[in-house]
Amino acid sequence: MASLSAKEKRFGTGIIAFYLTHTAIFWGYPFVWMVMLAFSRWRFVGRPTFVGLANFLRILQDSNFIRIVLNTLNFLAYLIPMLLISSLIFAIALSRMRYFKTFVVMSFLVANVSSGVAYSIMFSNLFAVNGPLNRIVYSLFGFTIPWFSDPRLAVFSICLIVTWKFVGYYGMIIYAGLQAIPSSLFEAAKMDGASNWKIFWTITLPLLNPSLITVTVFATTLTFGIFTEPYMITGGGPMMRTMTLLIYMYDTAFRRIDPSYATVVAIATAVMSFSLVIVIRRIFEREVALV
Amino acid sequence: MKRIKIFDLFLHAVMISLALVWIYPYLWLFMSSFKPAREIFTTFVPSRFTLEHYEFIFLMSGRLGRPFVRALLNSVFVASTVTFSVVMTSAFVGFTLAKIRFALSRLIFNFILYQMLFPGFMFLIPLFILVRTFGLMNSYLALILPGLLSSWGTFMFAQSFKTIPDDYIDAAKLDGANRFWIVLRVMLPLTRSTASIVGLFTFIGTWDNFLWPLMVMKDYKKMPLAVLLATFNHEYAGYVGPVLAGAVLQTIPMVLIFLILRKYFLQGISMSLR
Repeated sequence: MASLSAKEKRFGTGIIAFYLTHTAIFWGYPFVWMVMLAFSRWRFVGRPTFVGLANFLRILQDSNFIRIVLNTLNFLAYLIPMLLISSLIFAIALSRMRYFKTFVVMSFLVANVSSGVAYSIMFSNLFAVNGPLNRIVYSLFGFTIPWFSDPRLAVFSICLIVTWKFVGYYGMIIYAGLQAIPSSLFEAAKMDGASNWKIFWTITLPLLNPSLITVTVFATTLTFGIFTEPYMITGGGPMMRTMTLLIYMYDTAFRRIDPSYATVVAIATAVMSFSLVIVIRRIFEREVALV
Repeated sequence: MKRIKIFDLFLHAVMISLALVWIYPYLWLFMSSFKPAREIFTTFVPSRFTLEHYEFIFLMSGRLGRPFVRALLNSVFVASTVTFSVVMTSAFVGFTLAKIRFALSRLIFNFILYQMLFPGFMFLIPLFILVRTFGLMNSYLALILPGLLSSWGTFMFAQSFKTIPDDYIDAAKLDGANRFWIVLRVMLPLTRSTASIVGLFTFIGTWDNFLWPLMVMKDYKKMPLAVLLATFNHEYAGYVGPVLAGAVLQTIPMVLIFLILRKYFLQGISMSLR
């Protein structure tokens, strides 16, 4: 630590005062409003009226909200296995490649920097009923696939394009974990005559635990935050199947003019996401020590 | 031995074809924005290339009250202002927390960690109320002010400044440098990769931000491109060509900045594994 002069003190105080002011206005003030709205009823005008826990009781009986929580579970059930398995395979395959590695990495990562609005437009056209993909399907099999208009398929289709976007990013996280495992471990196991399959299950997978957990946690928080894709492509339909918690929050606040209830939806979303992350960590996280 | 060779060949073939599948949507989007409207869905290589969709976007859309060029400039302005501000404020606050000893520093550092636990969407509606109360609706300030500081950026800078020995600061002080000079000319160049990672991810995040500007910006003249494109797609869905050209416009800056700073993008990814 550098010695503290009067000048230094002034510099530090100035910077910290700026930080504290900004945080008080754009973090503290909204935080107070959030707590206040959660316990009151308000429609953007007048003073909020205190209603106690009414908003929280309402959310438990809200059939729309329950439908949307089920949708979110549906998203999770597709997305987490899809992302986890495909990025694991991607990372392992990549670690065995010797040529064109940069090209492969860049092609997968460039998908990740696609803008939410732009890639939603891109895929809604590619997957359209008369779009290029369905033309190929039709010429091969004689039928078309209603990617975004079938209630049972729409969630899966959205998960498909989210996987397109994130597999490179998550794959590189697992790849970094893979590189951290000393190759001497694999060589020793091979010497002892272990099969590739056995090496994968007893060495690779357990030692990859930290990166697999990271990916699972990222994918979970990502799923609770899905907004742009269904908002742009399906608008929450068909039959409300692709309605997500954030679309519901947005609609409640600005279409139904009910910001206090929308705030409770946001809080409930954050609590669910946070608890699921904690549960995942508790159950699956292992201490890994590499010597 | 032979079997392994064949397997490797197969693996390379599969991965390279998958990579091509992964960039195919981009190629299709790019090609389609130059195709005559009738051929967008039917052919990959069109009978002729046309600039009509870009002409529409650059020259005509303004008359419909959907000024795409302005929206592009709005996005550039907002994203670069926020990025510049986040890199600067994060560097200065991070420096203060890491290198100057004062009573609150431990507490503030812990508070920043605590802040990162809260997902951004929790604050959207209260922030909207704040912006409305200050009369900032439909202004650039509504898009810029909340993003001037970033707790993640501050954390990243504080962590990397901690690894730099105090000798650098003491030497600069002996040469008579003041604090601002030390941060800008001594510390920032030493943590160039942190600065690039923070800048890159902030720029991409701001450029791609959709829900917040959708809430606070109803003025077509000040909309960032993402929001204008979304509303245009909503209202003029029949204009497939211009919509796709707009999507190309929205994608290109992000892809360019990714290609330029790809090294730091990879570093940022491996850093997320703690």
